This record gives sequence, C-alpha cells and structure tokens, in this order.
Amino acid sequence: MPSPAPVVAGRDHTAQELYDRVAALGPSPFSIEQRTRALDRFISLRSGREKPGRFWRVDFESVAPEARAIDLSAANVRVENNDPAIFVCDLATAARESPELFARAFGTTGIAATKFGSLAAAFAQCGVFVHVPADRACDDPVVIRYTAPAGAAIFPWSIVLAERGARVTIVERLEGGAGAFLCGATEVVTEERADVHYAALQQVDDGARIIWSRAARPGPEARMSWASAELGGELAASDLSVSIEAPGAEANLTAIFFPRGSQHVDVVSTVEHRAGDATSETIVKTAARERGQARFLGNIRIAPHAQGSDARLRDDALLLSPTAHVDSVPALEIGANVVKAYHGATVGAIDAEQIFYMESRGLERGAAERMIALGFFEPAIERFPTAALRDEIRASLAAKLS
Amino acid sequence: MPDQALRITNLRCQIAGKEILKGIDLTVDRGKIHALMGPNGSGKSTLAFAITGHPQYEVTGGSVELDGEDMLALPPDKRARAGLFLSFQYPAAIPGVKVANFLHAARQAERPGDLPPAKFRALLMEKMEQLGIDPSFMGRYLNDGFSGGEKKRVEMLQLAVLAPKYAILDETDSGLDIDALKDVGSSIAALRASEEGRNTGFLIITHYPRILSYVVPDVVHVMIDGRIVKTGGHDLAHRIEREGYDKLREESAVVA
Repeated sequence: MPSPAPVVAGRDHTAQELYDRVAALGPSPFSIEQRTRALDRFISLRSGREKPGRFWRVDFESVAPEARAIDLSAANVRVENNDPAIFVCDLATAARESPELFARAFGTTGIAATKFGSLAAAFAQCGVFVHVPADRACDDPVVIRYTAPAGAAIFPWSIVLAERGARVTIVERLEGGAGAFLCGATEVVTEERADVHYAALQQVDDGARIIWSRAARPGPEARMSWASAELGGELAASDLSVSIEAPGAEANLTAIFFPRGSQHVDVVSTVEHRAGDATSETIVKTAARERGQARFLGNIRIAPHAQGSDARLRDDALLLSPTAHVDSVPALEIGANVVKAYHGATVGAIDAEQIFYMESRGLERGAAERMIALGFFEPAIERFPTAALRDEIRASLAAKLS
Repeated sequence: MPDQALRITNLRCQIAGKEILKGIDLTVDRGKIHALMGPNGSGKSTLAFAITGHPQYEVTGGSVELDGEDMLALPPDKRARAGLFLSFQYPAAIPGVKVANFLHAARQAERPGDLPPAKFRALLMEKMEQLGIDPSFMGRYLNDGFSGGEKKRVEMLQLAVLAPKYAILDETDSGLDIDALKDVGSSIAALRASEEGRNTGFLIITHYPRILSYVVPDVVHVMIDGRIVKTGGHDLAHRIEREGYDKLREESAVVA
C-alpha cells in the first residue's frame, strides 16, 4: 500500500507532477483551464475534515493520489439499463450530442467548489450521464458500476437529470482493488415533481482509498433520496448533500458505515434549506469494531427566509470494541423562526439487557450480538431501494460482524 | 427416570454486594403451576434472574437443577436450551429485529431444524390467533414502541412458540387490564392443552392474587425478605387477598 503523497500549497515536486498530469488530459468534460483551476483549489482548500483528536489516524489535508497512478484508461465503467426511454451515455457524448440537457445538470450543484470535489473535477476522465425524460417512470434501477484496478487512481463523474415528473432509481456500485484510489462525484438534478432515489454501494478493497462527493438540487415538489453504504476501503470519505432551492421539495439522506480492522470512514451530510415548506430527513447508522474509526458530520442549515422547513437528523453509533472510535458531530444552523428541526444522536455499546433477553431465548451470545447489531442498521437499510440490494447490504454487514 | 423437576436448593444471591436471596428452597414439578407471591422488594424477580443466569445477579450459594442438570454452571442461552423460559416483567426492545425473525431464531436455537419455515409460520399464525395478536406484529420490531400490554402478549407468544419445560412468569400480570389478564390465563391454558406444553411446569411470580383467578395454582409460595416463609395450596392466595402480607411477615419474623 503506497503511503499518501504529501501535498502542500505551491508547486512542490509532488504537486507539479499532478499539474503535469492535468495538462495531459483531454478537454472533456472540463477544459484544461477548468481542470487546472480545480487542481489549484484542491491544493489550496482545506478539507473541512480536520483531525479532531490525536487518536485520529487520517489527516485529510495530506490525502492525494500518486501522479503516476492516474491512469486514464484504467477505469472500468459498466451500466445496466433496461428502459430504452432513459438515455445513458458517457460525458463526452452527452456534451456533444445533447449539450442543452447536459448543461442543465453538469456543474450546477457546486460540487467542484470543495477540496475533493475539485480533485474529482481536475482529473474527471470517465463518467455517465443519465437523462430521464419528463413524466417517465422507471421501475428497474439503472445500475452504474465503476471499478478501479489495483493500484490505479480513477476519477469518475456521474450526472443525472430527471426532468419534470420523472421517476428513477439509480444504484451506483463502487469497486476497487488493493491500493486503488477513487475520487468521484455525482450530481443529481431533479426538476419539478421528479423523484430520484440514488443508492451507492461502496465495496472497494480494504486496502483501497475512496473519496466521493454527491450533491443534488431538487426542484419544486421534487423528491431526492441519497442512500450510501460505505462498506469497504482503508479510507472512505463521502459527502452527501442536498440544496433545497424550491418549495415543496423532499430530501431523504441515509448513510450506513461500519469500519473495522484499521478502516477509517468519514461521512458528511449537508442539507441546505434555502426555500421554505420543504422537508428533509437524515438517518445515519454507524458501527465500528476493532480499530475502526468513523466520523459523521451532520449539517442542517435553514436560511432565514426558509419558513416552514421541516428538518430531521438522526444518527446512532454502535461501538463493538473498546478500541473502536466514532465521532458524531451534528451542526444545526437555523435562521428562520417558523420551522421544525429535530436532531437525535446516540453513541454506545450494545445494551447488556438486550443481550440477556436474547440469550434467555436460547441464542448464543455471539449470535445475539450479531442480530442486535444487524437490527441496529435495519431502519437505514430499509431506506435503500430494491429487496436484492437490501439483502446484499445485510449480508455484507453480517460478514463484517462475523 | 431422572428427576422431573426444577429444583432450587438453598439458593443465595446478591446484587452489587447486597444479599437478596437468603437461602431459597423451592421445587417446581413438571406439569404443575406454582405461584410465588410476596410484597415489593422481597426478591421474587431476583430469584427469576438468578435461575435464568442474568450476569448482574451473583449466586453465592446453593443449586438450581433442571431435570437433574446443574443450571448454575451454564450460560443463560444453554439454560434456555435446556428448557427454561423467563417471561420478563420489562422485556428489552430490540429495534430492527422483527418479531417473526426473532421467534424463528429462538425456536431454531432451542429446537434446531424441527420445523421447516412454512410449518413454523403456520404455528406462529395459529398461536397469534389464539392470543389475539394482529398478524401485523410479525413485521414490527421486537418490543420497540410496544405498549405494556403488547409486550406481555408477545412474551406469551414466545412462551407458546417455545413451549419450554419450565416457565417463569415474572409479574406478567402487572400493568394489564382484566381482558389482557384473561388472555394471559387462556394462553397458559392453551399451552397446557397442547402436546408440547402439557408437561410445562410454571412458576408464576406476582404481587396480587388477581391473576390466580385465571390461572389456578397447584402450590402457592410466599416470599418475604429473600426467604420462602410459607408454602400452601390455592387457599393461601385467598388468605393473602384478605389479610395482605403483614400477618405473614409477623409470623415469619417470629420463626426467624
């Protein structure tokens, strides 16, 4: 496993190598100038994921790909889509053949303004554009799979445009071999009354690193659901954000993560209520065992004019080993006065009374603990689309518990 | 023929260093209903937890044998698999674990492979109907958000599905209205009428004689201050109903 290359402001040797790689990239989906500016931002911006304590093993300020690992041809992108009315293509094709549609979504969520969103933009070299026409309801999920070979660094970019009244479910599968580095972005635009359910299942190798930024902008009375299960990776960081700019919108954010061994997971959720009379519900379930570390930052911001907002945030963490560590940091900024805002959080071990109750029904202690821990995740698992995906997540969590 | 009884001999137990049970002798025979009565704080629930192996209850002396097998040497799950069942006064909520899945796991743990899933489901539906439990309970999370009465009904459902050799019911009547109490009585009667449960021995722990109108005990024990002070027939429950515990407490103080 190569150690992360240090990157500091200015063009030191490592940074110069990254600029050299950018210069060699093509102009799609970002121009070379845009890429260079994005790399500038990556190098100069702070991550917003400062080390909260000395026990923290990961310093996000120094996380960067190795320039020589950046391989434009390495990413394997596969899409399954059974609905001919849904238009799916790579980004260059979308920009060339449907520039007006592409422009309605691409780059409109502000995702490239953050440190790692900028890194994804600087090297974005593969991706998928999904366009769901107005009033089209698709029951079969569109499945997008990004795979990074061992040791390679890849930078996928997914874009979804759901037009007025459209409904679609998208499952993004993220895979990578040992030593892989994945830095991606997903942008979703749901126009008026559209309904997008986007689930990400991250199962990269335990020796890989993955950082993904996800941002959505629901229109009036539109619904946007993010559901993310971060199950693999030596280092996994995920941003889930929704910016509500129109009334009547509904945002549902769900995250599951479970670091074990020496895994480190860092999830940030952000719901911006910029328009009133909209609802959001964030549910996060974290477990950690062995030396696993996790941090959750849950942001809810309600603008002063966003009266009638209803925002809920619930995060629970289960510590399964004395050496595991979970930080849960809710941050509610409420500018309006006619709102409902709820936050609840728990961090703790499995309750001894629950274990005894199950043991008294004949279940062995280990089986009881596994059942309780799986049950702990269940309210979040139930928010993922498709029974098959839910079962897959249950099986994956069960394997991490055994 | 091995000893067909749950035999508790000179059992002593402490919690957080304080002795609660001061030498309990009590034998529950298979197929019999024993009532254990006593005022608040007399140690009745402690006895239930000591028998079933709650880790916070430290047994400091005596023995508990189930059909001749030493229970105190076993962890709680093995005691359950040997045939012990405790209906909790305050059952733990297990969010995310559905009632049906839990019951299936428990039945599998106690009787591995005895019922294929379809037959288990049929058994569950039958028992739920007997207990007047709505089928929607199967998909609810165990005891999570249940009312007091619902929790007790689901305890009775577990009793019916697991059909143990010995069942300890710890204040199953507390907080129940008359209708729910009748349902508890009829669920015990139904278990005793079934092939699996006709030999179940019961230890019914209660403050009040009220439940004993619906479940008629063969033997009544009275516990005061960590000791069994009186054992008798059903009429002992009636005496307590008339006189309360004070008279028995005075008599036991004289004996002690």
